[in-house]
Amino acid sequence: MKMKGLSQIKYLLVSALLLGLISCQAKKETETGEVGFPRSKTLYLAGSQWGDPNTFNPLAESWQAAWPVGDRFNLMYEPLITYNSLDGKFEPLLGTLISKGNDSIVVDINPEAKWSDGNPVTSADVKFVFELGRRFKGAATAYAVEFISGINVANVDVNGAKVERLSFMVNKKGRNNPLVILDLLQAIRIVPAHVFEKLLADNNNDFGAVQKLKIDANPVVSGPYNLENYSNEKIVIKRRDDYWGNKSLYAGKMPVPQFIIHPIFKSNDHFAIALQQGGLDASQTFIPRIWMKKKDKVNTWFESSPYFTSGALPLLLINTTKAPLNDKNFRRAMAAAINYADIKELAVSGYSPDMQPGLIMAVGLEGKYFNAEDAKAVGVSYNPENAKKILADAGYKSVFKSDGSLDYMTDKAGNRVPTLSITSPAGWSDWEAMVRLAVKGMRDAGIDIREGFVDAGLYWPALPSGNFDLIMHKPAASVTPSLPWSRFEAIMSSRNWAPVGGDNKMNENQGRYNQPGTKGYNPAVDSLLKLIPTLSDEGKLVQAYRELNKIFMQDQPALPLCYLPEQFYEYSSKNWENWPNEKAPYAPPLLPWVGASTKILWNLKLAK
Amino acid sequence: MFVIGIALFFGTILIALVGPVIFTITMERVGPQYAPPGGRYFLGLNDLGQDYISLLIRGLQSSLYVGFLAGIIATTLGTLIGIYGGFKGGWVDDFLNMVTNLFIVIPSFVILILISSSFKEGRSLTLIGIIIGMTAWTWSARSVRAQSSALKSKDHIALAKMNGANTLKVLLVHILPYLFSYVFMVFILQVASGILSEAAISMIGLGPLDTVSLGTILNQAKNTGALGDGVWWAFIPASVIITVIVFALYLINTSMEGVFNPRLRK
Amino acid sequence: MLKKYPTLRYILQRAGWYFLTFIVAVAINFLLPRLGNNNPVDIIMGKAGSGLSTEDARQKEEKYLQEFGLVKVSNGAIVRDAEGKPIKASKIEQFGNYLKMCSVGDLGTSFQKYPKKVIDVIKEALPWTIALQLPTILFGWIIGNILGALAAYRRGVFDKIFFPGALLLSSFPFFVFGMLLVYYFSVVIPWFPSMGGYANDLVPSFSFAFFQSVGYHYVLPFFSIFLILAGGQAIGMRSMGIYELGTDYIKYAKWLGLKENKVLAYLFRNAMLPQLTGLALSLGNMVGGALITEMIFSYPGLGMAILTAIQNNDYPMIQGCTLLITICVLIANFTVDIMIGFFDPRVKAGLQIGKGK
Repeated sequence: MKMKGLSQIKYLLVSALLLGLISCQAKKETETGEVGFPRSKTLYLAGSQWGDPNTFNPLAESWQAAWPVGDRFNLMYEPLITYNSLDGKFEPLLGTLISKGNDSIVVDINPEAKWSDGNPVTSADVKFVFELGRRFKGAATAYAVEFISGINVANVDVNGAKVERLSFMVNKKGRNNPLVILDLLQAIRIVPAHVFEKLLADNNNDFGAVQKLKIDANPVVSGPYNLENYSNEKIVIKRRDDYWGNKSLYAGKMPVPQFIIHPIFKSNDHFAIALQQGGLDASQTFIPRIWMKKKDKVNTWFESSPYFTSGALPLLLINTTKAPLNDKNFRRAMAAAINYADIKELAVSGYSPDMQPGLIMAVGLEGKYFNAEDAKAVGVSYNPENAKKILADAGYKSVFKSDGSLDYMTDKAGNRVPTLSITSPAGWSDWEAMVRLAVKGMRDAGIDIREGFVDAGLYWPALPSGNFDLIMHKPAASVTPSLPWSRFEAIMSSRNWAPVGGDNKMNENQGRYNQPGTKGYNPAVDSLLKLIPTLSDEGKLVQAYRELNKIFMQDQPALPLCYLPEQFYEYSSKNWENWPNEKAPYAPPLLPWVGASTKILWNLKLAK
Repeated sequence: MFVIGIALFFGTILIALVGPVIFTITMERVGPQYAPPGGRYFLGLNDLGQDYISLLIRGLQSSLYVGFLAGIIATTLGTLIGIYGGFKGGWVDDFLNMVTNLFIVIPSFVILILISSSFKEGRSLTLIGIIIGMTAWTWSARSVRAQSSALKSKDHIALAKMNGANTLKVLLVHILPYLFSYVFMVFILQVASGILSEAAISMIGLGPLDTVSLGTILNQAKNTGALGDGVWWAFIPASVIITVIVFALYLINTSMEGVFNPRLRK
Repeated sequence: MLKKYPTLRYILQRAGWYFLTFIVAVAINFLLPRLGNNNPVDIIMGKAGSGLSTEDARQKEEKYLQEFGLVKVSNGAIVRDAEGKPIKASKIEQFGNYLKMCSVGDLGTSFQKYPKKVIDVIKEALPWTIALQLPTILFGWIIGNILGALAAYRRGVFDKIFFPGALLLSSFPFFVFGMLLVYYFSVVIPWFPSMGGYANDLVPSFSFAFFQSVGYHYVLPFFSIFLILAGGQAIGMRSMGIYELGTDYIKYAKWLGLKENKVLAYLFRNAMLPQLTGLALSLGNMVGGALITEMIFSYPGLGMAILTAIQNNDYPMIQGCTLLITICVLIANFTVDIMIGFFDPRVKAGLQIGKGK
């Protein structure tokens, strides 16, 4: 039949096309010569790279650079020191912290630190990256010069070895903030000055052009791994056997996995399925009901709720310039109306310990600054009756429909309060659940509010411009040395205060709280914020934080919702074991390429 | 076959309309997360502890609403453009063809997300229905145009024209009645396609942000990892309902083909 | 002169309209992403601006605005107004810029994947989408039509079972089917992988293991689309087939004693016409069509790229992809129109007799 011949031809054409298309993607074969990376030598981790890897340039913006170059990842490029979020201590890496004070912070460069091309890591490299802001306005680390006025280099003798001692001078005319300098020391990765100076020279000193380079072909790095291969589906890094830290920091041992592969999944549930099936060894994603996966050997830091250690505080930021949100009683009533227990159980699968009022977390490293009496006396907890009482006392009336649901609300003057909305990005399932539960609680108490889910394209610009009633936000989301100060700074600082409207943007305190120059301005907030980074006496710090937190609880410029971990740490013992957990806390619960958790790589063992 | 189709379809409409009376609809939390089906809540609970029976009924109402809205808009637009172009022929036809092609080229979800970002209230069911309708009319226009242009050479049309009837009269009085059965089938298919499109758009995450629909139920199930955890009641009932509605509509459509085209009945 | 070659005239006329459509489509493509008053630099700044001083943030923002051509530039510096704020470039200027770049094949730099070029993103993702869509569409079409024709011809018991079955199959939404397949064949019974284009421990190469892995990962996505398409095609073909079977010329051919094969051949040739139209249109829609399947299976295709571009207001990416879709669809439609002109004798006759009204 005519058709049979036609279909046979079509079949051949199609197969040929298919073959051809796929082979167009051919890249070089793996170095091991075998096909595929051997499972017993490879660690599969995911959750730090979302979207296609575009550039591995350490000078690119940290949110643009792909894993493992972006954020605080230190497998290729390393910072001077790392901060252990479990015990609050600084651990040495490229450098060692010698002293910290209000005038300077002193760090010694490890004399054994070397680049992969053999050159030693020197003060020239450190100065290059920290002082980029003086040379180029658009550099990602440009803001460092507001805090660091200069870096003095001295050559000292330590145990018979010649060591470069760096003193980072606190910029007293600028921000005068030694705490943030500590943040920078553990976040900014050191890059090889000799490589980048040459690139700058080759590009006529055009920093923008250098920033656009991919730096993905055998980059010069100092860290234990280097880039092997990448595509839109995964990124592969390979162990450097001549890493300087093996001898200097780990007594000659090497990291156990030879390859680390980061698959790039396109949707959330893939992480869970991969973990269960043993295709993924650890992940940094929000996986609900993680306890159901225990039978597949998936574990977390704690064996029972809250499963994760707390590090970040998602909250609802309130636009304090808009009525009735400018009434602090209204804000406190909102805080009393939210059922935090429901949020803990339903929105985040129990991954949070019980929340306490205030902006200081009652657990972990910050716990020492938390004052339980103040929380009880001044703070507001979930109590719907109390919420209604506060509203009534402040003159608000809520009118309910016959079926029990809220109709509308009036203020003291009898005018209808417009329906408020919570701006939140659509598609982040844990945030969505939190917002829905918060709205439900508030409506039950008589507050006229609804969810305002928007696409990411509308969410990100809304935050700095102040175009919101309430907005979901998670400030200071990593555990750094400057917590909890940085969280207060991000919510309450009146530095650079600008009203809502026009092109005005604020990058902190987007709720425009505490407007300077007005009657209601409380100078104590800003003076405490300026004071705390300069305090070193523990007693004075406790006192200062106590005052600041009291002001927060009284004014309630934001509504904290629960405690979440800085990173979700879930691992599978199917292929690798000896992961740190509450029973074996030898490293903080982070994936082994961040901060002080890199040491996990030297301690892993193959599962039997 | 027709009977089965109509029965199924009206059955779902019945559930949507009468359901709230029989099962009290509540969006409150009534139990633990993802509780399995049992007792009064025989379709289980979702990740916020809400009852799936209520969610599905609400979702059904939303999906039917969008389907009909989109179907009506798409059919009206498509029929008008198709009839006019097919009848007139010549450059009018070519021009309408070009307009049709333009609309084919633009994917509906691009328009959806771009327009919804300009509205402060975000995406509502009505907006989604309108946009689906405005991008789905193209194939109805094509089919109707083919029919209309085949009809225009028939004798009674020539007669009407000789009698001095203007185009509008000819279209309404002489052509449309012939095509009525055809247009009705087009309408059925557009409703089915509208329901499927809404479900697809919600699955991507571009669904209505303030109401429940069958598509958003499936989207939630996927996002909260129900697939991997074996929580079948999160997505199988909703999938079944969508498939059944579409299947019922297709049955009606095919059986109508048989009615109007006797050869198909044998 | 052209009146002597009606077919040529027909083709040229069609081509003219399609070209016009193309121009208008390009203009619309350009305008659409700019409909909302969202400035994509705002999105970038929202992510990048936290913790910066106002002055630093402003400078960063201006750098991006200039880079993406959103402000007026003269001699390399931003043109400012009386208050020192940069003047936004008008839409016409942006459009002119855009046309200039397109003519050299540069579709711009993606905002969200900065500094990756749009054309690179498309080049990487397109083969996977085509590899997924092309075979499924073709096989679905072929198998569906064969089965549909068979049902039309045989009728009887086969038809009674086959027809409702195919109808049911075509009622499934693609993603529902995909989710069900993943659930049953990847989670409950782990026969097939649930995600990705190929196994994670492999690098694309010419090895047998790689192709084996690709094939293995191809099965579920393929079937989730193919079965539904086949069902739909079968239904259509069956209706056309039954319709044609009842026509006079078939009856006549039968009475004349023509061999069954020959009769079938004529039958299918006529019934296929509308199906061919459908096929060409499906192929035109190929590029954006597998979006949800790609999402469910983490298949590295173009659909996901378009989706994330839209969600992040990535103008150049959206424009680049819709341009691609526009070209594909218009070419497909144009081809169909020409094909009908050549293969449908009724149209040919109509052309030769002259413009009949």
